[in-house]
Amino acid sequence: MEKRKTILSGTLHLLKWILLLFLLSLALLPIVWLMISSLRTNLELQTSPFGWPRQFQWVNYSKALHMASLPRLLLNSVTVAALAVLINTLATSMASFILAREFFKGRDVLYTIFTAGVLIPVISFMVPYFSLITKSGLYNTLTALVLVYASVNIPVSIFLVTAFMKSIPKELEEAAIIDGCGFFKRFSTIILPLSRSGIVTAATFCFIYSWNEFVMAMLLTSSIESRTVQLGIKFFTSQFITDYAGMYAAVVITIIPSVVGYVLLHNKIIGGLTAGGVKG
Amino acid sequence: MHIVGSNKKRIWLARILFLLPVSLLFFFFFIYPFLFTLYTSLTQWRGIGAMKFNGLANYGKLLADATFRKALKNNVVWALSQGFIQVPLACLVAMILVRKPRFWKALRTAYYLPNVISTVALAMVWVAIYNVKGPLNAILHALFGVEKLNWLGNPDVALFAVIFQTVIYIGYFMIILLAAAMNIPRSYYEAAEIDGAGTFRQEWHITLPMLRGTLVTTMTLAMAYGMRHFESTFLMTGGGPAYATTTMGIDLYLKMDALRYSEASTVGVILILMGTVVISLIRILFGTSDPMSETAQ
Repeated sequence: MEKRKTILSGTLHLLKWILLLFLLSLALLPIVWLMISSLRTNLELQTSPFGWPRQFQWVNYSKALHMASLPRLLLNSVTVAALAVLINTLATSMASFILAREFFKGRDVLYTIFTAGVLIPVISFMVPYFSLITKSGLYNTLTALVLVYASVNIPVSIFLVTAFMKSIPKELEEAAIIDGCGFFKRFSTIILPLSRSGIVTAATFCFIYSWNEFVMAMLLTSSIESRTVQLGIKFFTSQFITDYAGMYAAVVITIIPSVVGYVLLHNKIIGGLTAGGVKG
Repeated sequence: MHIVGSNKKRIWLARILFLLPVSLLFFFFFIYPFLFTLYTSLTQWRGIGAMKFNGLANYGKLLADATFRKALKNNVVWALSQGFIQVPLACLVAMILVRKPRFWKALRTAYYLPNVISTVALAMVWVAIYNVKGPLNAILHALFGVEKLNWLGNPDVALFAVIFQTVIYIGYFMIILLAAAMNIPRSYYEAAEIDGAGTFRQEWHITLPMLRGTLVTTMTLAMAYGMRHFESTFLMTGGGPAYATTTMGIDLYLKMDALRYSEASTVGVILILMGTVVISLIRILFGTSDPMSETAQ
């Protein structure tokens, strides 16, 4: 009996680890594969898609940076993501301050409307976004992408930042009001600094979204001046047609910012996800 | 009295000022597009010229449209597979990690990683994996002698292939479920242990019932995401071969690309309706609260 039990629990233990390690390899495989492929020669890549490079071809990276319009695309992506994050966090922290710390009729309705945006699949807005951006003369500009990315993230940011601001104890603010702090001072010297952590979480989500977004960038831009890296690696592959190794090097360069950001801020991201999930 | 009145006015002015940026962006990128899509779906319009009111004709046309019907069917498969395969798998992993095996924190971090990498890069990797000469065929051939398949080019298996790769995204649901599982008081398990309940019975009678709300939330969310699926399929197969992997999102894009704006908008309206109706229905059926408690992509 005792023995059967140990065998059973031993098997379970083994199965558990097989599952965990299988999923781990699936999660890490894409990045590892891209990194290895980016260091192989084209001949090696053609012979077999999976394999270890005989010699690390670091030259692929310098080729990628020179051959493609990669530097320009990277600059565009950085600009778009930075501005989208800036606008999004500024606008949503101001609004969240009102939604979390002020009391008036209709406040909760407003909060529900803003956050309900998350229920809408943004791809269903391809036609209106295209029409709106073209009509306002913003087609093929970085501004178009900045506005779309900052807006699409409003529901998530409002949700995260409002929840955070609501958790700040009232007493802190009341003391400030007694000291004669006005509306703006309450926001800028008390609530905003105390909500930094929540705002950083929202900003991280907004950055990852803006950096990785593909569909709207494809829809709203048409030339190198305003395209982002995601479109670059998808559509400017013609530049690489004989140089897959260089293309993989370019792809690795484009995923570095989000991976580094994630490694540095993963606690905030996981915290942000669970802030939502546990309540449900 | 007068001072209080003007003070009140000033506070309202400040409140409006603070709400203005978000309200403007939200109006132009959520409210207006929603109304625009709804209206366009009722007209005949090819992107230029005046819109001609057309009633519900586009909806009738769409129901008879073979590619749309195929897309709709694929979307249902997508939604069900995400809700009933991905979430249970994520739940299983969460139930393992909540017992804090070695490296559980590192595993949690690693499982979420694919969610922050661009779909463009990941699709490229999967195209290589599914290649006829790729590793998947090599492994299957070596292990089971299976004939080599063109996973993304064969209409019989392409849909399976594009859905299977979403298994790398389970980290998202796993993290939500894990956080909920961690909130279950340990005393419940200790009491069950004293009563002689083994691991399985503890999971079945304590963890799963306690996770019910979160499970409904994550399943709803997974199905809603399955419904709106676009990117990785578009990048891997473009909806082909022979529309085998097309989804409503891809159908919308292709119709728009062919300047069939009204029909594209009609697909958009149906997409919005299906997503919100599915979510609301499940919420009403299972009575879970706070539809807004989901976050992030």
